[in-house]
Amino acid sequence: MRLIHRSHRAANAVRTVSPSGELFVASIVICMILASFGDAVDPTWLGEVGLEFALFDFGGELSVMAMRHWHLIELMFAGTVMAAGIMVLRIVGGAFFRPLDPAHRDALEKVPIKL
Amino acid sequence: MELELFSGAFFSALLAIILIDLVLAGDNALIIGLVARNLPKESQNKVIFWGTFGAIAIRALMAILVVYILAVPGFMLAGGLALVWIARKLVTPQDNAEESHLVKAPAASFAAAVRTIIIADAVMGIDNVLAIGGASHGSILLILLGLAISVPIIVWGSQLVIKLVDRYPSVILIGGAVLCWTAYGMITREPMLVAWFEEHKAAKLVLAVLAFSIALAPWYAERLSDQMKPLTVLLPAILVWMLGFEIVSSVWKVQVDYLMATTQGEYLIEGLRWIGWLPFAAFFLWVRERMMLRNGSVARSAQ
Repeated sequence: MRLIHRSHRAANAVRTVSPSGELFVASIVICMILASFGDAVDPTWLGEVGLEFALFDFGGELSVMAMRHWHLIELMFAGTVMAAGIMVLRIVGGAFFRPLDPAHRDALEKVPIKL
Repeated sequence: MELELFSGAFFSALLAIILIDLVLAGDNALIIGLVARNLPKESQNKVIFWGTFGAIAIRALMAILVVYILAVPGFMLAGGLALVWIARKLVTPQDNAEESHLVKAPAASFAAAVRTIIIADAVMGIDNVLAIGGASHGSILLILLGLAISVPIIVWGSQLVIKLVDRYPSVILIGGAVLCWTAYGMITREPMLVAWFEEHKAAKLVLAVLAFSIALAPWYAERLSDQMKPLTVLLPAILVWMLGFEIVSSVWKVQVDYLMATTQGEYLIEGLRWIGWLPFAAFFLWVRERMMLRNGSVARSAQ
């Protein structure tokens, strides 16, 4: 029996994890997969296919290529930054789109406009 | 491969070991309590001391052995595959409190109690030692540090670990991800496969996604709707299919890369590789739906 099974919350971590904790771990997993993608792509192949200019234009792929030798700590930092970025985007996006949602016709904040 | 002392790789491996120690720690105190509960009071203290001592000694012996075992060709691959399964078991929700199957009944004598405690700890610690062996990259110093971290957890730190994972359940998910990452590293470092992975670099990405899709399936299955649930089986199956073609291409020297295909047979194989899994997926979905309908009708008739 594992120690973690003494705690119901820990034994059911996939159900009890907080949204921010889940986003953090998901970001780390994505960074791990990106790092393995960088590990899987042969840099000489990009030149052979003639993609080096396209990649320089976007830059993102080269960043992924640089992740190929990243260690766990670097991946965790990258995951933290990614999670923070997604959270900020979500807050900003929410703040932008919420006013665009029409209020219910009977809602208190509905301003009747009579011409 | 010896890691450079106090480098980023060293601290990363140490962090992985700490996380593995936290999430895979066994409940030693519970085992001792179960075994020694029928013994006289004066024997109980001796059982606690010698049981803990024996557990630590057997853990140290296993940690040293695992370094040598993982150096044997084939064991790194087997260990990596085992770690993927351990990570899956770790994140799988436990609805009911798991009962210890290692202790059937209280021990009748002092020797039997100590023996049961040592055997139980050895069984509970196999996954921990294997994961630490994989994460340490063969570094004896890291193995010793891993041991130095796991021993206090065995002896005193259980309440602290329980409080930590209870407050932050995401530690379990990070532990699962780290175990999976360690498994990926172990499989790609397997001496028999290093040259193959150099030739088939894309297989590394397929392997990584495959490992995560199997190990973290209980996690993402919780977030999927009922219609999307078959993805937990289909995604790993398709990745195994793709990986299978890479293996077949190197075993039977078959050309599976469409850019290099020249004959009609090679184009057929390439087509089979990309769309050949569709009938199997459709068959799986059909069988699954039939089973669900059948179970539903059985449940209705039972009411």
